[in-house]
Amino acid sequence: MRGYAAFLGKELIEAVRTYKLFLMLVIFGVFGMSSPLLAKLTPQMIASVVSPELAATIPAPSAVDAWTQFYKNVGQLGLVILIIMFSGVLANELSKGTLVNVVTKGLSRGAVILAKLTSMVAIWTGSLVLAAGLTWVYTQYLFGSNALPHLVVSVVLLWVFGVFLLSLLVCAATLGSNNWVALLITVAVVAVGLVAGIIPAAYHYNPLSLASQNMALITGTVTLGDLWPAIGITLGLIVVLVAAAIGIFRRRVL
Amino acid sequence: MNEIGQYIPFLIPLAIAQVVLMVVAIVHIVRHRHYRFGSMALWIVVAVVFGFIGPVVYFVFGRDRDE
Repeated sequence: MRGYAAFLGKELIEAVRTYKLFLMLVIFGVFGMSSPLLAKLTPQMIASVVSPELAATIPAPSAVDAWTQFYKNVGQLGLVILIIMFSGVLANELSKGTLVNVVTKGLSRGAVILAKLTSMVAIWTGSLVLAAGLTWVYTQYLFGSNALPHLVVSVVLLWVFGVFLLSLLVCAATLGSNNWVALLITVAVVAVGLVAGIIPAAYHYNPLSLASQNMALITGTVTLGDLWPAIGITLGLIVVLVAAAIGIFRRRVL
Repeated sequence: MNEIGQYIPFLIPLAIAQVVLMVVAIVHIVRHRHYRFGSMALWIVVAVVFGFIGPVVYFVFGRDRDE
């Protein structure tokens, strides 16, 4: 436990010194601020760039559009950046051999994996809360209201999906010693999920629904009840992936 | 364009965040002369031209890992 706490501290200091924390907060902060602004200013931009006639045919933007932009930015590009940012989670230290020292001095390998996961989840949580909070504040000012159902739940679902991706990334990272291996496996699994999305009924069970059905949940075309199987499967997969990551990491050569 | 003028208070923090990102990247590029690939000139151009993505690409792919 002390090893875990010490290694977690080291991970967080590393996140600060390598600018990872700073980058994540600035990027997600920009996403959070720009989403409602983009929704609000789209008609004006079309009016000045294309033609006022076309802009007049577009319905006036609302808080729903602001959150649609939020899920477009954070739920797609944001998750891509999250994965790329942390793709070197194990590879950097494996290639430098710096883990050998601490592990031979008695730090358990499970603690290494858990501490790395904890620090990534903490940074993801902070970034997502910042982005969602800024979108909430901006939407409140620009559109006067945030009165949308399931707003918090849909953000929590996106958070769960982010944690799932990070667990997947850590598990994939234990399989190779190059950050491209981790990145490729993660992308491959997401691609499988995207292909499964072709089957209409699969969204009940697809973990990807947690990052793609958020607006459907807010607008009411999908209910939380529809997504329970997907939520359960995702949570189960997180546990399995973390256990697998620790199991594989215990057996591998550092 | 007057309609856009009223949103300037909302645009300022956004602009500040983007400028801070760019400046931090440029300072890092100038102070660390070793990159995984590319040259100082290339990375400065990337950080300035690709306002938002450029600095991120530099920090993730361009920065030398051992510093």
